[in-house]
Amino acid sequence: MVESIFESLKYLPVQRALFACVLCGLSCSLLSVFVVLLRVPLIGVSMSHAAFAGAVFGMLTGIHPVAAGFVACLVVAGILGPFSDRARMAPENMLGILFSFLIGLAFLGMGILTRTKAGALNLMWGNLMSISAMDLVLLAVITFILLLFISVFFKEIRVVLFHRRFAASCGVPERAIYYGLLFLTGAVVASNLSTVGGLLIFALLIQPGATAMQLTYNLKLFFLTAALAGIGACVSGLLLSYYFDLPSGASVVLMATAIFVVAFLVSPKRRSAKQTKRNPYAQDA
Amino acid sequence: MNRPIVELNNVSVRKSRRWLLDRINLSVRDREFVGIIGPNGAGKTSLLNVIAGFEKFSGELCLFGRSETWIRGRKTRVRIGYVPQSFDIDPAFPILAKEAVMTGACGRAGLFRSPGKIEQDRAAAVMEMMRVAHLADRPLGHLSGGERQKISLARAILQRPEVLLLDEPTANLDIAVQKEVLNLIGEIYERESMSVLFVTHDFNLLPDSMKRAVFLNHGRIVFDGDVNDALTGANLSRLFEYPLETFMRNGRRFVSFG
Repeated sequence: MVESIFESLKYLPVQRALFACVLCGLSCSLLSVFVVLLRVPLIGVSMSHAAFAGAVFGMLTGIHPVAAGFVACLVVAGILGPFSDRARMAPENMLGILFSFLIGLAFLGMGILTRTKAGALNLMWGNLMSISAMDLVLLAVITFILLLFISVFFKEIRVVLFHRRFAASCGVPERAIYYGLLFLTGAVVASNLSTVGGLLIFALLIQPGATAMQLTYNLKLFFLTAALAGIGACVSGLLLSYYFDLPSGASVVLMATAIFVVAFLVSPKRRSAKQTKRNPYAQDA
Repeated sequence: MNRPIVELNNVSVRKSRRWLLDRINLSVRDREFVGIIGPNGAGKTSLLNVIAGFEKFSGELCLFGRSETWIRGRKTRVRIGYVPQSFDIDPAFPILAKEAVMTGACGRAGLFRSPGKIEQDRAAAVMEMMRVAHLADRPLGHLSGGERQKISLARAILQRPEVLLLDEPTANLDIAVQKEVLNLIGEIYERESMSVLFVTHDFNLLPDSMKRAVFLNHGRIVFDGDVNDALTGANLSRLFEYPLETFMRNGRRFVSFG
């Protein structure tokens, strides 16, 4: 089996798929840290549906689906920030409405799409084996920008993740950091339409972060663990899909869930919490 | 007398067709300890939010001699410390107590620069002063409410603010921890050169350093003066619209139902 893996690496589509897997796993898992720690899973869902709706309308109007998905994501990111900050109703409700509106819009577009729906369905759950060089370059550029953003503003990001109001009160430009993260979420989701698709990407925007949450209290290690979990899920999902002829996006998501379950079962954080629960006086001792 | 560092002229906040603050005029001087007292919904937190820059308002706000809006730069923000009533944190959140304290130094360090050894030593000293040095390596989410509140205070002090805004910092704490936190606030006020605005509605636990009281009700200031003149049965009954009386015991003033 190992030999046949190396054998298959000679082919360009497999090389591209593998490279895309690493980039997709890395970019989505880094963002999952924000989604999990800021407790904004609906932002991930809304963004993934915005990309999907935009791409479907791109197909309807003859615009490149990824470009249309990209624009839709950036537009939603631009309105999500102020909406969730200033809306009088709970942000969760606001995002729920936006999310259902976007999925409705996407399915409306699917309904009136006269030509074959296979292209649109590909955008829903992606196809790693048919990735183009252009898709790869775009994904690499967005991943690089995300990595740069995290490395340069790590100190500010830590405060914003910890407490947005503390960040604002101590002079950290929390709005700029938060909105920057929203735009990057939009960009990452749109650039991954062709890898795992607009619907399944949601899993990668949650599960690597949730996996890291089980394992470490150190934020740098948290990013690293999430990245390893994300890349691991993508690469193992690709291999599964290649050898068992399964849909690649679905395999990736199922592998991400499997990694999370393992992390949950071995979690040292969960075990220490359990011990504290069993002995309520343990902290005082 | 020291210069005024916080001045509000006709400041109002309106939300959901209700005036949370209605033409507030208030001046706080350097090194002054002011208690903002009033019933629930009086506008106490809104007043702190306006000064901290969290809330849009109409009217004029001068901070450190400069007119400011709710959108303001880093240089003004770092001069104002803020401690909320309490804050929720997931027990699994990846931040240790010492890292939470260090976040207070982020603003002064500025972008592209990390707080250095001096700030780290200062953070250790502040944690020592707040009696939380032994908790430095514990995850913040594992600490009790009182311990978290002391960490929150330490974080605000590390920011080296000139004005410290305390929004009911002893609410949700048991009585012994309330007293301990109040003593620490008194110590901070004596040691650090800063003004303090302390929001509360518990008169039985007022810091000894508080010399001036401002009563707020329905978004308006209804009393502004010496704390001893403020805390009379008649004044408090009027403020809370409920019969209350005060009595002295062991040199301290207590409030009870009338």
